[in-house]
Parts: sequence; C-alpha cells; structure tokens
Amino acid sequence: MLKDRIEGLRKDFEERALKVGDVKALEDLRNLFFSRKKGLVTGLFEEMKSFPAAEKREAGKLLNRLKVDLQTRLVELEKSVPQRTKGAAGGAAARSKISGKAQVISPEDPDLDDLTLPGRRRYTGAPHPLVLFSQEIESVFRGMGFTVEDGPDIETDHYNFGALNFPPHHPARDAWDTLYINDDLLLRTHTSPVQIRVMEKRKPPIRIIIPGRVFRHETPDPTHLPMFYQVEGLVVDEGITFAHLKGTLEFFLRALFGEKVKARFRPSFFPFTEPSAEVDIECIVCGGRDAACRVCGGSGWKEILGAGMVDPQVFKNVNIDPERYSGWAFGLGIERTAMFAFGINEMRHFYENDLRFIRQFHRK
Amino acid sequence: MKISLDWIREYVPVDLPLQELLDRLTMIGLVVESIEERDGDTVLDVETYANRPDTLGHLGIAREIGAMLGRPLSERPWPIFELPQETSAVASVEIRDAALCPRYCGLVVRGLTVGPSPGWLRRRLEAVGLRPINNVVDVSNYVLFATAQPIHAFDLAKIGGSEIVVRRAQRGERLTDLDGRDLELGSNMLVIADESKPVALAGVIGGQASGVSESTRDVFIESAHFDPVSVRLTAKTLGLSTDASYRFERGTDVSFPPEAALMAASLLTQMGGQATRGVIDVYPKPRKAKSLRLRQHRIGELLGVEIPESFVGQVLGSLGFRAETSSKGVWTVDVPTFRVDIDREADLIEEIARFYGYDRIPSEFTPAKSFDLATDRRQERLEKIRRTLLGQGFDEVINWSFADPDKEKVMASGRPPVAIRNPISVRASVLRTTLVTGLLENAAWNLNRGLEGVHIFETGSIYFWEGDKTREQCRLGLLTTGLLAGSVWQGRGEETDFYVLKGALESLLSDLRYEPQSFEEVDHPMFEPGRALTLLYKGQPVACFGKIRGAVAATASLDRPVFAAEVDLTGLFEKAPRPFQYQPVPKFPAVHRDLSFLVARDVTYQEVKKALDKLAPPLLEGFELRDRFGGPTVPPDKVSLSIRFRFRHAKRTLTAEEVDQVEQKIIGHLRSALNIQMREAKIDIRA
Repeated sequence: MLKDRIEGLRKDFEERALKVGDVKALEDLRNLFFSRKKGLVTGLFEEMKSFPAAEKREAGKLLNRLKVDLQTRLVELEKSVPQRTKGAAGGAAARSKISGKAQVISPEDPDLDDLTLPGRRRYTGAPHPLVLFSQEIESVFRGMGFTVEDGPDIETDHYNFGALNFPPHHPARDAWDTLYINDDLLLRTHTSPVQIRVMEKRKPPIRIIIPGRVFRHETPDPTHLPMFYQVEGLVVDEGITFAHLKGTLEFFLRALFGEKVKARFRPSFFPFTEPSAEVDIECIVCGGRDAACRVCGGSGWKEILGAGMVDPQVFKNVNIDPERYSGWAFGLGIERTAMFAFGINEMRHFYENDLRFIRQFHRK
Repeated sequence: MKISLDWIREYVPVDLPLQELLDRLTMIGLVVESIEERDGDTVLDVETYANRPDTLGHLGIAREIGAMLGRPLSERPWPIFELPQETSAVASVEIRDAALCPRYCGLVVRGLTVGPSPGWLRRRLEAVGLRPINNVVDVSNYVLFATAQPIHAFDLAKIGGSEIVVRRAQRGERLTDLDGRDLELGSNMLVIADESKPVALAGVIGGQASGVSESTRDVFIESAHFDPVSVRLTAKTLGLSTDASYRFERGTDVSFPPEAALMAASLLTQMGGQATRGVIDVYPKPRKAKSLRLRQHRIGELLGVEIPESFVGQVLGSLGFRAETSSKGVWTVDVPTFRVDIDREADLIEEIARFYGYDRIPSEFTPAKSFDLATDRRQERLEKIRRTLLGQGFDEVINWSFADPDKEKVMASGRPPVAIRNPISVRASVLRTTLVTGLLENAAWNLNRGLEGVHIFETGSIYFWEGDKTREQCRLGLLTTGLLAGSVWQGRGEETDFYVLKGALESLLSDLRYEPQSFEEVDHPMFEPGRALTLLYKGQPVACFGKIRGAVAATASLDRPVFAAEVDLTGLFEKAPRPFQYQPVPKFPAVHRDLSFLVARDVTYQEVKKALDKLAPPLLEGFELRDRFGGPTVPPDKVSLSIRFRFRHAKRTLTAEEVDQVEQKIIGHLRSALNIQMREAKIDIRA
C-alpha cells in the first residue's frame, strides 16, 4: 500500500545518497525525486489527488513527512559534497535552493507555484484629512515650543465677543454670524475665546496653538459650512513685535507649502488685534499666471490666514499690562487651507465621510 | 463699496497704471474685489471694514489714496443761491433725546421742480450701481456716496407745523416707509416726527407720506448724527438695512452734518431751487476732538522697525490728523472726527504701519527665554487611541456637531440635548448627544456606494444640559459592520462581529494601561437586548457597546448587523492609568498546557476568568482562551472551553511534576467553584 511505497522510496533515496559525490550527482538525485514533472515524490502527490477524501488526510500526512525528511537530507548532503569553486558553488547552491523550492508542490502551500499572485495586504485605517492636516500644522508649532490648548465649543458672549474687544451691537459682529443657544450662550465662532481663557489663568510668556471646531450661521455650499475647524496661535511676552509675527508665520507657511512659497502681509481689521494683517500666499496652482484660475481668481494670491498684534484692550480685559507685554496671534481655517493644499474644490467632502475620499489620505 | 475713479479724481489726481494702483491699494488694506469699465470710467468694488465707516464714501477713499500718493485733497466749491429768508423762520428743529441724536442740522430749499437730474449726476450714481430717480433723491444719494454722510429730504408741505421733533416713538405708533412697508414702532426706536406723528425712522428710512413727489416744491434737508447702536437695533428689529443705516450704525462724522446739508443745498439750487439762509444746527453737547499721545519709541517696540519721525508726521498729516511733537519723542495727535476707529496709541501705530508698508517690516523669528512643557496628557492619549484604531483597520471620520432632534429621540442617549435658537435647518437644530447617529449614517452612505464593510471611528464632543449648565464630553465612537478589510483572494472575506469591536476596545484601553477592565451586561435602547455590555474601569462605566437595535439602525436605513461602541474619554482621562513599568524579559522557558473544560452554558467566561484570577496560583504566569465550541460532541447544556495556561519560574526551568501540581489545583478549583469538568486529556507543549 501507500505506506509500503513510501518506505520503498525512503530506502531507494538512502542507497542513492550514499553514492552522491559531487554537486552534479546531488542535483540529479534531487531531480529524480522532486522534479516538477517526473519526480518520484511529486508523482505520489499527484496520485494522492485521486484518493477518496477519507484517505487523503492520512496520506497527506505521510507524504509530507517523507517530503520533509528527504529535503532535510538533501540539505545535509549539499553541505557534505565537495564544492567546485567558491564563487560558482555558491551560485549553484543558491540556484538549486530556489529551483528546488519551486519544484515542491505542497498541499499546505498550494499558491506558491505562482508567485505573481497578489500579496496579502493587511488593511490599516485611513486618517481623516482634517485631523491629518491639523496635526501637520500643530507639529510645525510644537517644534517652535508651542503647546496645544483647547476650550469648549459652547461659549458665552463674553468669551466669544466681549473680552475680544467686540463692543455690544457693533457691526463687526456681522462678519462672525452666530448660532445662539440663548441670550448668553452661543456656539463659538472662532477659536479665539481660548486665548482669553488661557491668558486669564496663565502669566506670560505664553506660546500656544489652539485647534478646534467653530460654528457660523452659514448655509452649506462648496466653500462655506456652518461648522469648520480653525487653528489659532498666540504668543505673549516682553518685546514681541510685528516683525516676529511676520518671521514666524513665514516660516510656518514655508513648512506647510514648501521652501519657495512667497507670503504677502497686508493690512486688515479684526477687533482683537491692532495692527491687523491678512496673509496671502502666492497661488501654488497657477503661480499668478492664469487669469481664470479657479483657486486665486487670477489675482495670483490666495488668502490663507488672519493675524495681528494682540489688541491692548484684550490684554486689559485679562489683566495683562499692555505696557509691559505685547503679543501676536493668528488664525486660519483648516478646511480652506487643506482644500488649497490638496486641490479639493468642495468643502462638503470633509463631512460626507465617503471612505473613497478619506482613504486617499493614507498616502499623504 | 463701489468706487468710481472719475469721481475720486474730483478729490485727488490718480494717474497710476491700474494694476499698480490695485497693488498699492491692497498694501494699505483696501482690497479691490472686482473691476468694471464703464463709459471711460473705471469702477472698483472695494472691500471695506466694519471699523472704517469713513471709507464708505468717495471722499474717504480719496483721502486714503492721497495719503498713499503723498498728494493733498482738493475740495470742490459748493456755491449756494440763498434767499434772504432765515431757515429758522421756515422750520424748527427740536431734539428730545440727545443721547440717540447728538446733532441735527437742516435747511430748506424752495421753488424746486422735481424732475430728472443732469447727466453728470446720473452718470455718477449709475457708476456706483444706483438707479437715478429724481433730482432731489439723486442729490441725497450723491452726498451719501460722496461723503458717507446720509441725508434725507422731506416734502416741507407734508411736515405738520413745519416742526421737526427728534424723539422716541410712542407705543402703538406706526409708520409707512418709502417702500410702502407698514412698520410697527417700539418705544426704544428713534423717529423724526412733525407736530403730531412720525415722518421718518431716524437714520434708517423715510416715511412715504413725507417723501418727495412730483408735486413737491419745497424740501427740508436733514443732515444729522445718530447713535450707532440705536440705529443698528432699530434696523435689526425691523429687518431693514439701508445705505443710511449701514453708515450710521458704523459711525458717521459728527462734525460733518452742516457741510453735507450745504452741499445738498448747493446742488439743488444749481437745479433751480433757492435755499433759506443758514443751517439750523442743533448740537446740544458739542464733542471735543480726541487727542492721543503717541510715543515714537513705541512704534519701533510694536512693529520691530524704526520709522523716522518725519515719515510719522507726514502720514498722520496726510490722513487728516494734527500731529505735533510736544516733547522729545512724544507726539500729541488730534484725531479728526471722521476717524471713529482711532482711540489708542496702537490705532495710530497701525496707520503708520499701513502706509510704511507691511512688506518693509523685517521678518524675525519670535525669541523665547523658555519653553513650556506640555502637561496635558489628553492630546497624547487621543493620539494613541487613533494609532491603535488605525492600526486595526478602522478609518477615521468626522461628523457635524449638529443633530436631528427626531433621530436623537430614537437614540435615547438619556442626555437632554442642547437646542440651537437660530438653526440652519430643523434637521440640524440640536447638538449631538451621541456619536453613534453620525457613524450609522456614515455606514449607510458607504454601503450604498458599494463597500462590503465599514469600520470607522470618530473622536469628538457630545453636548448636553446638566441642570442649567451645558456640558461637553469628549467621546470615542466606533462602528463595525460587514466584511473586514484586506485582501480576500485566498478565500471568502471574514465578516466582522461583536468580538472585533470588543477586541478593539480592550486593546486600546490596554495600550493606555487602563487595566484591568471588567464588563457588565446592560440594557440600552440603542442596543439589542442581551447584546450589549458596559465596560468598567475601576468600577466606573466608561464605555457602552453592542449590537445596534434594528429600529435604531433603520433610522439610517441599515438592515444588516451593525456593532457600535461609545467611550466617554473625558471620564476615562480623569482616571489615572496604571503607571508604565518595565518588566525584565524572562530568562527561563515557560511551560504551556492546553486544558479543555466542559462548562455549563449559564456560566460566563468572565466568571471562569474571575475564578482563575482569584486563585492566582504560584507559577501560573497567564492564560488565554484558545477555543470555544458546542455541538454534537458536547452535551447540549454545556460548551467546551479550551484554555492555554502558561507556567514559569523566574529563577529556573520548571519540572513537569511542579506544573502537574499547579494544574491539579486549577482543575480542582474550577470544579469546586463553578462545577467545571475536564473534557479530555491534557496536551503538553514545551515552548
């Protein structure tokens, strides 16, 4: 029966092995038993395929043991036979190993006869692009010694407006169209209230970065959403100047958009900074050469962030002496900036959570 | 704000190439949003700021351009054909609320023929996007768009008693405005009234009855200063916004009303009218011009660049400030009344910086004497959670903070939702009290688009009322449904299940050293009965998870098994995890023993585990469940549990006898504690 035949093959192999004296003979022996088409062991595996299922299992075990034993012996023999020359022998051994392996048809490794089959990939999850981009920004500032702070999404009128030098009923509030909970509580329209909360509880020097959700009364469209992410930075210390604001933000923009990016600071208005600035960067899409550019509208510049020197009234509101301390702050919208950086033309994509969108950021 | 360059040239010569003009305007903070060429004129749409109402007229923009080019403004003369009659003999003005109306000026133009304006005036108005109506209305608009001072013309014949009374409206008073709206007035609204009734809503809009019509012959020209907040509240309450209210609520120039009245009168007399003599000017408490101190050294301290005194003086002068150096290095600066935005030294420094050029300020790195250590571990822990979950194949999502109140009801989180008073839509009118709603919608969205499995997580806030305070909690939401991700060519893909979710939770908590965890069955409206657990750490519930109830999944139109979890990270992070401690790598080998037990179906694995933890025999280093099955080979009221035990001695190699002894202890203990029997012979594996 099968058992006897297997024992016969073992005996046959050992007899022949005794006579193997060189690499060539070893190779012949290997081929006799394991060649892909006519090998004796290979043949037995082929035969086994036609066995009834009940016997197959037992037969497989026996055959496998035979295969393992004989191959172990071949490896031992390989070590004992005299090598032809050093270089060539190494090459032959390497070759024979590879070809020897390829000739083995194992029921446990049925796929190894076609190594062009796709690799088996383990799936790891994709980060949301907003988190990814926000972390990129945070890490630039962490590297400059900033720490990360946060605060509540539901704020009081005082923290969102009053303490930030928005007089009650001033039209300046119109640009921060607000979702209200009641007369006093609202959904923060910017991350700036966290500036106040931090300055209330900490003495300068302060160097913080504040990422978070903010809310506006806006109907969603491709470039506006009622909720989005902002990141805000604040520095307070003695002797801080507008030149520091410029140098630091220029560095940040280079870190984010590349060494060659050109930034432009121009005057603007925010109630909580004085002087105030808006910062544009040269359009990375058209470089200012396309009059119909979808991103910059042909101006060649793309507005990226708002900034300025902390308003002395804001300092007074948190009991920091504006004669002794000065500071700068900036804020930017993460969606808007990520859209520009990645060439996304629809802001709502960030909140559809279509995995075909999110999974692309695996590669970022 | 639309600005005609031709109109600007009445005040200051502008001869730069257009692009250069636009670039230089940008650099002083006037951004041109669009350009329109119109009959040889160039019209710029300039973005203006809420604090600069002076730029809401051509004069103000011209002043900026003049300062930018270093050119003085030229004023056009406003000749008047005057009657011998005094204005005060024809009309009277009384201010009854000087807080809301600090100044009111007026004069009368008689003998007008209301009709079309001359061509030059029509062109000016058309350039800035206005439709010419008749000479009287056009002149008021012209003055407004030239100087940013709104004026209003009443038909004098319709002013009862020729009396102008500036007062608050009385309860129940109404006014039909120029556009025919019937306005209900409140007692905090300021009106212009005649002897008996309101004829205009001060600073917002005129009344229809007193308006100029074709039959008007004599007009009373109003040029006043109103309190910005009062105008804003009135306009907001009534839902109105006019060119006049837009300017008054930002602040007009309190010095300018007489001049604007004369300018209007001049234009109307050039069109055939005759003005009464002298402007009525009721100004009970004339305001003093603001005077500020500006220290030259502060300019450098704030901007980081030394700006010469000569430049400072020149810029301030060309913007209409009077600046003198009273003592060395200190300026005394008188602020013109049209600059309502300038109150402090910092405001003056911004003006200097604007015209010096932000681009000429150097770029320096922000110096630091010391850095703060990040003491807040939340960010770090959040990041670790993200890494663990991404590594396990969960994709990250971000959902709105807004939620649909109807869906919130189905989720029954038990937390009272916070409602938004002025929501964008009804379906987004409360704040979410759970992350699961959003995750269910994300699952549906992606399954509908052809994915066979969705495994997602989100970290974010939920919101709710706690008494009369709002609370925010940072939470982690997890959802898994359908096929697990990965290559599937070697067989059918593997379906997710409850234990995938549980495993993810266990490993992320273990990675944060929140151990040991325990679990309790829980009844929760979000989950199927008997298919949900609470996860406890130090006896406190920190997470709830299980199989989503069919009715809940149906809110997102999901009809397949969905497993979800929600972890209270705020609560979790308040608890201290086990400290990290390095354990030496064992020097001696372990012995593994696989034991199979027959366990009654009503005995849970957790009970088995607890019993073993309680016994904690020496040499037993750990154990893990390898297999669990029922079926034909097992009695119907039992299941088979195979557990692999790991034994080790720290100082030497174990003998089989030693292991046997401990093993017998384990078997005996399980038998006596939980009536658990051995299933089959043990298998000894040496590692």
